[in-house]
Amino acid sequence: MTSDSPPRFAHDSEAELARILDYYGVAWRYEPDVFPISWNADGAVIESFAPDFYLPQVDLYIELTTLKQSLVRKKNRKLRYMRQLYPEIRVKLFYARDFKALMLKYGRLDFLTDMAAANGAYAHTGAGINR
Amino acid sequence: MSLHADVEEILLDSETVAARVAELGAQLASDYAGRDPVLVSVLKGALVFLADLMRTMDLPTSIDLMEVSSYGAATESSGQVRILKDLSKPIEGRDVIVVEDIIDTGLTLNYLLGYLADRQPASIRICCLLDKPARRLADIPIDYIGFTIPDRFVIGYGLDYDERYRNLPYIGVLKPSVYGGAPPEG
Repeated sequence: MTSDSPPRFAHDSEAELARILDYYGVAWRYEPDVFPISWNADGAVIESFAPDFYLPQVDLYIELTTLKQSLVRKKNRKLRYMRQLYPEIRVKLFYARDFKALMLKYGRLDFLTDMAAANGAYAHTGAGINR
Repeated sequence: MSLHADVEEILLDSETVAARVAELGAQLASDYAGRDPVLVSVLKGALVFLADLMRTMDLPTSIDLMEVSSYGAATESSGQVRILKDLSKPIEGRDVIVVEDIIDTGLTLNYLLGYLADRQPASIRICCLLDKPARRLADIPIDYIGFTIPDRFVIGYGLDYDERYRNLPYIGVLKPSVYGGAPPEG
């Protein structure tokens, strides 16, 4: 679960995912660990990867990428290094399409509207889903 | 206007679904032979699957229904999941089979499993028609799976979009134009 003082999220989608996890009682930590993925010749870390969430109950890191494609490519590359260097660590990348599907599932289309306005990427109607 | 017109593709036709449901029912009847399990389903999506599954089980069973609040329907911004309809009878000492239509993130079922376990049943197993593991956020031990499906927005056979399409006899993929945007699967 969240700490007493909520973290400062880098993106609204991260805050929304945290609210969903809280709603269903799933414990999470925000950017709790940093994994070095690249070093210079002197052994100093020059690049690292800090997944957005860690879910201790399922021992899973989640990285949300709802940003533009160039940044997604960068994250994909980081994740590839991460998996090579730390094969025992479970990381799941949530792409924009995954997050949109999650919003659709929970009928949070208003949130998608806000995201669309911010990113200029997605439009929708006003219905929800009630599985 | 026909509901079928909103279907982009039939993922699993009614014959395929019926055959697999019959297999699951036979497997459950075999695994629970000599016992009297209670089938617990979550409203509303699992209703059609439950109705068909129980009729393929040659076994004395009872059913119970629950309803759980959904994140999207929460009116308060910092709410928590709630049981909207509880079990009608105690399950202490009973063999429980949770019958689900689809497991996606697993968040609702993860909550429900904890809730049911607190009621001290003899056992809990999960039987789901559709497993969509791509976006799983909770470890759910699924014992019986009808079909593992790709990351598509599916409707029919109890599954809805905005309360519609539950009565389609097959599992179909909803046209993205219905919800007005790019398909969730990208």
